[in-house]
Amino acid sequence: MASTSAAGPSNNKPFQFPPHYAFPPFFTLQPTLSTRTSQLHSWSQLIQAYCRHHHLFSLTLIDALATPLFHNAPLRRQLSARDARAIVDWMSSAEGDSRAEWIGAAPKKAAATAAAAADGDEDTRGRFWVFWRKPEEWAGVLEAWVDATGQRGSVLTLYELAESDATANQEFHGIDAELLQRSLMVLVKRGKAQMFGGEGEMGVKFF
Amino acid sequence: MFLNQLDLTTALRPSLLPEETLLFVQDAVGLYEGKYKIPQYQNGHAYLTSHRACYVDNEEPRKHSVAINLKDVEHPEFYAGFLKSSPKITFYPKPSKRLSLSTRGPPTLSGNNATSSPVSITPERYGSPLRTLASSPAPAPPTSATWVCPICSFSNPVPSNFDPATANAHTPLPPCLACGIKPPLVHVVKAAITAMTNRQSSPIAPTPQRAFNDHGNFLSTAGLSNDLAASAPTTSVQCPRCTFGNHPSLLSCEMCGASLISIADKRLELARNIGRSDSPGPSLTNLPLQGESIECIKFSFRGGGEKIFYERLKNALVQRKWLLQSAPPIPKPNRLSGVFDDGYVTGSDQNERDPERNKVVGIAGLERRGLEQRRNNELMLGTAFEDLEALMTSAKEIVALAESFASQANLGTNGNSEASALLSQSASALGLVTTKDMLRSGSDSLYVSELSRNLAELLTDDTRGILKREGGIITLVDLWALFNRARGGVELVSPTDFEKAARLWDKLKLPVRLRRFKSGLLVVQGRDRTDEKTIASLLSWFRELHSEPPVGEVSWDWRLFGRGVTAQETAERFDWSVGVASEELEMAEEKGMLCREQGLDGLRFWENWLVNMPADCIEG
Repeated sequence: MASTSAAGPSNNKPFQFPPHYAFPPFFTLQPTLSTRTSQLHSWSQLIQAYCRHHHLFSLTLIDALATPLFHNAPLRRQLSARDARAIVDWMSSAEGDSRAEWIGAAPKKAAATAAAAADGDEDTRGRFWVFWRKPEEWAGVLEAWVDATGQRGSVLTLYELAESDATANQEFHGIDAELLQRSLMVLVKRGKAQMFGGEGEMGVKFF
Repeated sequence: MFLNQLDLTTALRPSLLPEETLLFVQDAVGLYEGKYKIPQYQNGHAYLTSHRACYVDNEEPRKHSVAINLKDVEHPEFYAGFLKSSPKITFYPKPSKRLSLSTRGPPTLSGNNATSSPVSITPERYGSPLRTLASSPAPAPPTSATWVCPICSFSNPVPSNFDPATANAHTPLPPCLACGIKPPLVHVVKAAITAMTNRQSSPIAPTPQRAFNDHGNFLSTAGLSNDLAASAPTTSVQCPRCTFGNHPSLLSCEMCGASLISIADKRLELARNIGRSDSPGPSLTNLPLQGESIECIKFSFRGGGEKIFYERLKNALVQRKWLLQSAPPIPKPNRLSGVFDDGYVTGSDQNERDPERNKVVGIAGLERRGLEQRRNNELMLGTAFEDLEALMTSAKEIVALAESFASQANLGTNGNSEASALLSQSASALGLVTTKDMLRSGSDSLYVSELSRNLAELLTDDTRGILKREGGIITLVDLWALFNRARGGVELVSPTDFEKAARLWDKLKLPVRLRRFKSGLLVVQGRDRTDEKTIASLLSWFRELHSEPPVGEVSWDWRLFGRGVTAQETAERFDWSVGVASEELEMAEEKGMLCREQGLDGLRFWENWLVNMPADCIEG
């Protein structure tokens, strides 16, 4: 299912599902616009909260369908692949606040895949980012951490940032390397950091 | 009172008395009292029934509707219209009332008129003879007898104070208004006498009190116009194309086949936009209806149809159906002998009077009685169908017979109740339903609007309870089938007309409405049944489900969420058809009150907790 480690800081307590999760129609995507919007918001929040709780940064659709996130076993209700895809599509749109993004699909291709998804479940194996924090927000978090620990001006490897004991109690501990790079690139663009190094061993210097 | 309050049906048509039948309907009709328009009574439908002539206003039908009992009508008068003045039919009340009025002094009405609309009493268009005729029934007919000048042949009025009985050579005579030559006395006397005899020769002469009215004028043209009206314009309808004189009840020309109605219709289309503000007639400011001082009432036919109306009115006046109720049944031939009974004897009396019958008892007696009964029926049917007139007069009996046949047929076959109900309904429907020939069929809009009212009546008829049986809502197609069946297979209504009629409900402010669901399904329901009410009843049902445990084990908290319902369940609960139920559910869903769940066992609808989670739920 998820791509990265499952050892999060708050993993001891079971995830508290929202009340909608126990309501059977929640698992049918509504045709009425206002109801549908409300439902999509609820789903978006649920997915983000679930991923935050389990410290997941991306999901694979086909695998996630079987997890408790999309499958309420005691209620015997399950979200269909098509509806789940619609929810992720909505989350990645501007309307959904870009809280998700299909991995490996350019924005233009997304439309094509959406069309393909309509007639077949070919694309359900697609992975998608769940931005319970967006790259910009991650950048802010990283910068704040660097500031707080007085490491401005020093050089850190990406591995250090993600996996070292020093960041063990940070939210970005165990962050996906690709997402970490994207977040740092935001800082680079702002002129707050500089990245260097090559394959496998990349470093970053904060200004 | 000459004008009576009119009770309307739910469909805003006159509610007919028992035995009363609808003869004709015409729209675009206005009312006049005397020669003055009655305000608020200027745009409506005229209904002619066998007992009454009714006016139903288009704008405020409940407030402004009146009926004239035909039994109070002395005689009708026809005026064919002239230039901008519409054709009119005048109803004169029975003279007894007018007598008592006129002895009371000058009619209060004319006083009203004088203050409200100071129209000069002498007609403005003196040169137009038709105009003079038109105004003749007015409270103060201004024209008197005329004498034609032997020199210049100009028509001069006979002086108001001229009395042929006392006139002699010394009576001063005014000279001719055109050439100034004094007429010979004999000439004027002759003219005055002719005028008087004309007046008296009319069926019932206006009372002498009235002849010399406020102005002391001779009332002579009233009689004159009666004669003219009876002879000239009503007997035939001139074809606009070939000028052949057709019978008034024909709708198209007998010679060339041209429609006799279309012409009037085109004018109607034009007139509809113009309105009647520019109508030449003055109008009253206050309503004289309550007063008893009504000289005459005119129906002004701005949309045509006056000839057929008049024709049928005359027939109704001749037939005097209102007498029927107290009248004896039609003479029946006495048994065997063939001698006509006088009909005053009821059945039991007859038995006592007939020693013969009492002698035969037992099975033979029963058989004999049956035989007699059959013979009697046979005779009645035979005479009834002999010609149309006979059928009309014995219609009452025939309908009774048909009903008894229907019940017998039902007994014999022990058939389903629906069929028999329809059979008996169809008999009563015969007299109830607007048919195309009751109206001028050229005018489709009138037919459709009458049909629309008809339908509304059928739907709101509590004795049939059609809407109630269907849970207050019925699809248009079902209604169409039902309606045509109720008509008993005659004068079936085409689906197009039917839909058009249904669409008119809104415009005619009738108590039923046509509704189109999202899927295009057309349904009929009472006007009081709005979406809000439907949703409210649905939601209250959903709330009930919170407290009653669902059948079987369920995996969710039913106390919190209730349960989902299918269209089938909803249909059963509210007595709707399944199609209607699912449409109603979807309507409620669209309004955000419900949400759906597509499960393996089909579509279920829930209260919409997606938008508003129950408060206690969020805390827990």
